[in-house]
Amino acid sequence: MIWHIAKKDFLLNIISARFMVGCALCLLIIPFTILTNIEDYKNQVRLYEIDRTTAETRLKETKVYSGLRPVIVRPPNPLTIFCNGINGNVGNKVKINFGDIPALTEGKASLRDNPFLNSFFSIDFINILSILISLLALIFSYDLFTREREEGTMKLSLSKGISRTQFLLGKISGVLLTLLPILILCYLLSILIIVLSKGISIGGENWINLLLIFGFSIIFMLLFVLMGAFISSRTKHSSTSIVVNLLCWIWFIFLVPNLATFISESYVRVQLYDNVEYAVKELNQEYNNIFHNEIGPEIDKELNMTNRSWWNMNGGYDGYMETSGTAKEVMEYERRLKAQGEPLRIDYADKKWAIVKDHMDGFSRQNRLQNILLCLSPSGLFEMVSAALCRSNEKAFLDFMEDVREYRETLIRHFELNMWFESYRYITAQPVDQFVSYEEQRAIAQSGNIPDCWSNNNNPVLDLEGVPMFDYKTEGVLSSLNQVLIKMILLLVVCILLSFLILWSFNQYDVR
Amino acid sequence: MLQAIDLSKRYEDGILALDALNLEIKEGEVFCLLGANGAGKTTTINLFLDFIEPSGGQAMINGIDATKDPLEAKKHVSFVSENVMLYGNFTARQNLDFFAKLGGKRNLSKEDYYMHMREVGLQEEAFEKKLKTFSKGMRQKVGLTIAIIKDAPNILLDEPTTGLDPKAASELLQILFQQKKLGKSILMCTHDIFRAKAIADRVGIMKEGRLVMVRTREELLEDDLEKIYMAYMQEMIITGQ
Ligand SMILES: Nc1ncnc2c1ncn2[C@@H]1O[C@H](COP(=O)(O)OP(=O)(O)OP(=O)(O)O)[C@@H](O)[C@H]1O
Ligand SMILES: [Mg+2]
Repeated sequence: MIWHIAKKDFLLNIISARFMVGCALCLLIIPFTILTNIEDYKNQVRLYEIDRTTAETRLKETKVYSGLRPVIVRPPNPLTIFCNGINGNVGNKVKINFGDIPALTEGKASLRDNPFLNSFFSIDFINILSILISLLALIFSYDLFTREREEGTMKLSLSKGISRTQFLLGKISGVLLTLLPILILCYLLSILIIVLSKGISIGGENWINLLLIFGFSIIFMLLFVLMGAFISSRTKHSSTSIVVNLLCWIWFIFLVPNLATFISESYVRVQLYDNVEYAVKELNQEYNNIFHNEIGPEIDKELNMTNRSWWNMNGGYDGYMETSGTAKEVMEYERRLKAQGEPLRIDYADKKWAIVKDHMDGFSRQNRLQNILLCLSPSGLFEMVSAALCRSNEKAFLDFMEDVREYRETLIRHFELNMWFESYRYITAQPVDQFVSYEEQRAIAQSGNIPDCWSNNNNPVLDLEGVPMFDYKTEGVLSSLNQVLIKMILLLVVCILLSFLILWSFNQYDVR
Repeated sequence: MLQAIDLSKRYEDGILALDALNLEIKEGEVFCLLGANGAGKTTTINLFLDFIEPSGGQAMINGIDATKDPLEAKKHVSFVSENVMLYGNFTARQNLDFFAKLGGKRNLSKEDYYMHMREVGLQEEAFEKKLKTFSKGMRQKVGLTIAIIKDAPNILLDEPTTGLDPKAASELLQILFQQKKLGKSILMCTHDIFRAKAIADRVGIMKEGRLVMVRTREELLEDDLEKIYMAYMQEMIITGQ
């Protein structure tokens, strides 16, 4: 009987204008969205290739340890075609420095505004799908009961000796039967476009994630069908029902997500970034002070330096120094300066990080509140779950940054273990046995017969064997499932509760 | 057999729409219920179909209490409502098919549906037309066919002739007459004294939820139903003043 009613509704639905309009809408909007996002992704891949090769060549050309500052480039993820999450707000490159612990990637993101909020306006597949499917679900279910009542068919059907529960289940199955093909069409269409466009492979485990997202979108759709059905079971007329339904839709799809961002930003206050910047600047000054006014003069005194000039020198504020042809007294001076200065720089990096981390923790608190509030909106939940499964949420990004920071620690430990901070190679690629004293340097310079090794360019590059490299980890399916399972269950529980509510409500429905 | 035993209904707003109705309609009997607007006729039918719960008494269909075991009770009754729209985007046959299967008649062929539609006098060319193109009378005929196909021993009709032209109305009566001869118990609520007199074995007049008069066909041969009915209505107008 349930099947019989479902089939009838399915048949009536597919010849209805709303079905045609719904399909046409999906056929127009989904490919457009996917194509835009594919273009975006391809650009990301191109940029990534360039960035990665640049970083690799730079690293291979490094000649001194103070120049060994790998650039980590985050590979683009094909699942972002479906859900871009916060990726639009953050960059993809981090340079490992010893003077700073990286909080964010370079480029787009700044710590001025929370880059992990406000991510709900990107036009990606999931956002568009959640708007389309929820709207369609309501449009098909708003008059589920009211129409049958208005046309007198409900009375006639119920006079046939079927129970109200059967009738209700049949009606709801009918809507699901109608919407499911549209939903499947949306997914198939986008996967087809991705598969047909060259150079994109979704790859292994990602299919499981996609399948999970698909499963979740069915629950999402069911929720809106149930919501429409519930409203329909509380109203006598279709016209009332559609107004209430549209109001609910606007509330859940647009107002709640925006309110969640607004409330979390205004309720959880994060200190002004200017204060953070100021504190960091102070620490930088303090470090420079110690470095230039304490460590420097001390070594100066110890070594009894009279003259301090380089033959050939490149350097930067980040501790990088590359020199050659410089007198061995100065080499020794610089070596000892780095041997003391670099560990101190690392200590100061930790101090600065404490301040920045405090600021970032504020963001995390905002984010946590936003995520909790977003649970009040089905589309918010859907977006969160999809971003988690597509690894484009703030957690995936922060995990990446955590890995980067960990890598930085590993690299520092490697430097310490191999005593690289104390080594001449930290500042020069010139072989130690070819160092010259002041007098020798002057004599050679006057003779005009400058050795090759006095030029930075002629010295050998570092042997990178044994140097730890960054290992880009991707989260397994189980770990992402772990993140979303509670949210999935939450939505499912809401659906079940709503079903009982409808059952109760429809049993009281005045069929006349 | 349809039975109402002390059947009462008081709506939530306090209106006593039906006041201890006692009624028994035997096999092969047609009972016509007359009464002014708001007399309680539709309420009576709704009680038999368990659309509303009685405040007291019982509505029995073939001895089964419609409130206690509505699903079983409804197996034994067909219902023709006033002005049913049916599914406008389905054809007449699709509508029949849906409701026949809903009523448990699963193995009817296209020809069976055609036969039944011919029986009620629907034109051939309408069989496969969408219902939204039908006139009221045509729709009512489809509604009646749905009831006939179910082939239940009891038929409830709520003002089936309103809006029908005289020819359509008498065709409808013709069909009901055949059903009566098949041994069905028929309860028809109507404002149509003329048709009531033509088909009813017994006529009841309802007023403010009470059955104030019942006459058999034989008794009506002597009395003038119209006059009696008007008298009751008049009385109401007077008491109304
Ligand atoms: N849902 C309801 N709530 C409250 N009162 C109701 C309800 N439905 C009907 N009534 C009242 O019950 C009484 C009987 O109504 P009913 O519909 O049974 O009359 P009827 O004889 O079918 O009239 P009509 O000839 O107009 O169809 C009326 O006074 C009506 O106002
Ligand atoms: Mg009525």
